[in-house]
Amino acid sequence: MTEPPEAPSAAEPPGADARTGPPGGPGSRRRGRGSLVVARAAEALPRSVNGRAVLAGTAVSALLVLAIVCGSRLLRDYDSALLPYAVASVFLAFGVAYRYTVWVSAPAARRLLARGWGSFFSADNFRQAPTAVPRMIATYLGFQKFLGARSHARWAAHQLIFWGCVLAALITFPLTWGWFTFTSGTGSGPGYEMRIWGVKILGFDALSVVGWVMFHGLDLAAVLVIPGAAYFLRRRMKDRGAMTGQRFAYDMVPLLALIIISVTGLLLTFSSLFLHGGGYEFLAILHMASVVFTLVYIPFGKFFHIVQRPAAVGMQLFKYTARRGDEIFTCRRCHEPIDTGPYVENLRGTMRDLDLGFDRWAEYCPRCKRVLRGNAYLSQVKKGFQ
Amino acid sequence: MMGRTMFIDPGRCIGCQACVSACRECDSHRGKSMIHLDYTDEGHSVASLPTVCMHCEDPVAPCAEVCPADAILVTADGVVQQADTTRCIGCANCVNACPFGVPKIDLQAKLQMKCNLCYDRTAYGLAPMCATVCPTGALFYGTAEELQAERPGVQIADTFVFGESEVRTGAAMVVPAERVRWPVPGGLPVVEINGEDVRR
Repeated sequence: MTEPPEAPSAAEPPGADARTGPPGGPGSRRRGRGSLVVARAAEALPRSVNGRAVLAGTAVSALLVLAIVCGSRLLRDYDSALLPYAVASVFLAFGVAYRYTVWVSAPAARRLLARGWGSFFSADNFRQAPTAVPRMIATYLGFQKFLGARSHARWAAHQLIFWGCVLAALITFPLTWGWFTFTSGTGSGPGYEMRIWGVKILGFDALSVVGWVMFHGLDLAAVLVIPGAAYFLRRRMKDRGAMTGQRFAYDMVPLLALIIISVTGLLLTFSSLFLHGGGYEFLAILHMASVVFTLVYIPFGKFFHIVQRPAAVGMQLFKYTARRGDEIFTCRRCHEPIDTGPYVENLRGTMRDLDLGFDRWAEYCPRCKRVLRGNAYLSQVKKGFQ
Repeated sequence: MMGRTMFIDPGRCIGCQACVSACRECDSHRGKSMIHLDYTDEGHSVASLPTVCMHCEDPVAPCAEVCPADAILVTADGVVQQADTTRCIGCANCVNACPFGVPKIDLQAKLQMKCNLCYDRTAYGLAPMCATVCPTGALFYGTAEELQAERPGVQIADTFVFGESEVRTGAAMVVPAERVRWPVPGGLPVVEINGEDVRR
């Protein structure tokens, strides 16, 4: 049994050795029966964090409004029928910036963010592994290889939803902000020009394949999203593992929202093609309401993982950079690798930030922790145990 | 401590691995066992120690506190759940911060998994799989009163000491009556207490 070295005293916050529980004591963050709560370092948001988050949200949403005004050439290209979508996107910008600020203000996320960006901007990263970041972005964010390791079916379904949503977002946001315009110099076509910020990007024939794809991009997105979301919805109703602890608002609502958006979007096309516009106005309002609800929901529910997931790239890059430098940290007792040295030091720092006074314990592997606890029980608590 | 919870008595454990096999049958992590069964002094003693999540109450769930993605949730009844599959980024902070060495990680799947007290069963009043099959009662699920009614004179402890820090848990250990006043040692090697060298 080896004695771990003393932690560097300079890094030790004053009073870190005194065990302190979360503010308000144990159980203070409990809520009503059946609700799930995130265990965070502090239940009540500190006023400074809240102020910073409001400021960030306001700044980002103001920038978006400015971008909408400028991008639509002082609203000349703006389609006022799409106003509710634009308003919802401004609210979305505020909500995402607010929650992101709150999220990265917590010790663990704040440290990870600093280490991730630190690794990204390090000279070693650019010199030794210039392809690492693009590769990780493609692997983790684009093709989500890790999901394949969980389940091939879930990976396939998630890829459908992901690429469908990416396509829909690329079309919807610029369109509702007045950034994209489709104009015809010959009245009703078929020759159309696509313009971004007033600049002509391409001309196409509305009756050609390109024209069909351009005008049915959102239908294609809906065709991708519906089977993916339907698979997950079925899984949420049949798979006992997925159903354990599931919540309607967190797990079901996002799937239902995606399906409703996609189905009502397809019905709009169906109405214009086969019903001569019958029921179009009602469907348009239903579609708009479902999209606006989903945009507003994004910062507060399951969809926030879209914003959080890039942290995985930062974390992997942080570990990858240290691993290339051969900075592996081994267990103090069994000498099996735990992780990289900078990772363990970062974790210990996080634990000290959180007043978890047993950060030295992070230098032991999980098995050794259990064995040492078993030995301590054997020798100090119940000697008859052997 | 939770009302109905897990009580662990290593003195009764015979290391039969029935709990390990039963744990694989839990619906929330089918095919993967989340319980740990360690032989603490292999070659010298037959002693074994089953380890399930202790559902830390104070500080509340250190694994959740160190999670940078807010992926570990605590239910209103005090059960620390395994990582939310949507949020977990597979950083292993929880694995290395847990003082009891409980969480496991699948590095390929970028996913942490841990004992969740068989939430698919306990949420409906059933005992966890491990406690259901344990032939010696080393793993007991119920209230402290039920345990003491079944095993008169038995005492329990739900506070562990790691160096200078104490952790109070939702699950508890069975301890001898004379030890009940003291926190259970967590195993973190200690050099001295009150100036006295306690190394063996």
